[in-house]
Amino acid sequence: MIADNYLAHTADPRVRKPEAATGSPRIEEEIIKAIQDATGNESFSLKAPRRIEGPVDSDRLHTLASLIWSRVGFQHLSAISCVDWLAEDEFELVYHFWSYRDFCLVSAKTRIPRETASMPTVSDLWQPALFFERDIHEMFGVVFEGNPDLEKYILSDWDGPPPMRKDFITREFAHDHFHFRDYEPDWDELVKGGYHSNRGEGGTDV
Amino acid sequence: MSELVTANDGSSLMPGAKSLENREYNLFIGPNHPGVEGNFALKLTLEGDTIVKAKTEAGFLHRGFEKLMEERLFIQNIAIVCRICVPDPDPNEENYARAIEALADIEVPRRAQFIRVLVLELSRLASHLFTFGGHAGTIGLYTMPNWSISDRDRILDLFEELTGGRVYHIYNMPGGVRRDFPAGFASRVRDVLDYIEGRLPDYDNLFFNNRILRKRAVGIGVLPRERAMEWGTTGPNLRAAGFAHDVRKDDSYEVYNELEFDIPTLKDSDAYSRLMIRRKEVVQTIGIIRQVLDKIPEGPVWNKQPNPLKWRVPAGDVYVRSESSKGEYAYYMVSDGGVRPYRVHVRGASVTHGVHILENLLVGTRIEDASQLMFSLDACPPEVDR
Repeated sequence: MIADNYLAHTADPRVRKPEAATGSPRIEEEIIKAIQDATGNESFSLKAPRRIEGPVDSDRLHTLASLIWSRVGFQHLSAISCVDWLAEDEFELVYHFWSYRDFCLVSAKTRIPRETASMPTVSDLWQPALFFERDIHEMFGVVFEGNPDLEKYILSDWDGPPPMRKDFITREFAHDHFHFRDYEPDWDELVKGGYHSNRGEGGTDV
Repeated sequence: MSELVTANDGSSLMPGAKSLENREYNLFIGPNHPGVEGNFALKLTLEGDTIVKAKTEAGFLHRGFEKLMEERLFIQNIAIVCRICVPDPDPNEENYARAIEALADIEVPRRAQFIRVLVLELSRLASHLFTFGGHAGTIGLYTMPNWSISDRDRILDLFEELTGGRVYHIYNMPGGVRRDFPAGFASRVRDVLDYIEGRLPDYDNLFFNNRILRKRAVGIGVLPRERAMEWGTTGPNLRAAGFAHDVRKDDSYEVYNELEFDIPTLKDSDAYSRLMIRRKEVVQTIGIIRQVLDKIPEGPVWNKQPNPLKWRVPAGDVYVRSESSKGEYAYYMVSDGGVRPYRVHVRGASVTHGVHILENLLVGTRIEDASQLMFSLDACPPEVDR
């Protein structure tokens, strides 16, 4: 009864499952082959046991991701990581896909210029991406086109630059914005005549 | 007299309050509330008692650890990472150490691998006991928190003896663990395991078979299996939906592949089965720790590394995963060959459970179940905030 009530409220025709997500487990070489066949991308290679990775052009990433979801059957988006490569003036986005069928992780790496910092969303394929992208938008300032909710979350009262960028120097910001207390005052002078003697009018609060 | 009545019915303050369009109202739960796990806020829109929209708000415990880690030496970060998840800190230490070991190609002695498994499983046990107490508290059963949290203290005593810290252990070092078992430690672990196992029938009588719990939790917050997978559920919450995925089995690390344990699953996927799956995992975890104590070999516990203040980790990147008491826990570490990590990305299990899934699952439930639902998902706000 309650379950029906819940389903009525969240009826979502998008619940779907790729056909390739079920079947006998494949070894890493077979997965690399499957990615090649499905996407035409030959740059994926074995990095470690159960870890495959490869570079992707940013304008091809969404197509590749949708094929990895549908044809290769990677049903779980484990995370999206963002790395700020300041010297190269680029952001690197790393998409970590996990296959429940093969027990294997595929990491697709793509680079975008820091200036424009824009990327199509993959939340139409994996719903957890809604929050992963929102988090990266907040911390790095990357805009994910098509993500319906890029509101501030953790830093709701922050109006500075995206703080995880490498050119945001925490130490400088603290020096510019906060007053530092003198932790080595001349105590003898301050507490002359007893600790509370200088708390009255004209005294300094220690 | 009539003026007073007009002033009190609120219509002058809220024009249209009685109209049909304005039946919805907003309610905040948290960030300081006993029914919310940690510093976290739920912004609910309600119609009567029913939640029609839910938004979460985090950031009350934001410490900027990911940024801070980029400023600290590799060795200094060991004392930071455990603080990312308060009730279950050890998966953080495990992931952090394992990421450095993978990048720098450091081997871990076999005895240290067994000790790590022991610490991880003790931490899981402590975390589950904490959750039982929290869940019971949300539906007004206040004896269970007293029992389970005082029993958890016995595990914290073990941690204190082994690592020096009760809550945060700062125990895993790249290359092994900081120190070996103190004399007689293994037998004291067995005593605590026997004690907790003996307490489970009491827990059943008091809590798990309690009629109030069944009335309140069965059928609440149902998350069907396909929906759960689509929303990125992991860990016990996914297993409660009937899908047997466990990082310890499927992406095995340390010596988990040498230990025998099953992945318990349930199929109802409501608040009650998410609680019961943790009850089953307590039994499974006790079995794993006993196997560790039986099989642990003699030998060194730390593969000695050079001066930790001058560690340079070779350039590269690695993605390590482990199974925390809340679900899949992963670290993505990038090193540029320097003395500090270039980037550490923490993917806590609650990043999905505490935000997207909780927000969607709350819709259609009633206000008194909001806290219970959050505890049944075991969402841990410090993981979301980092």
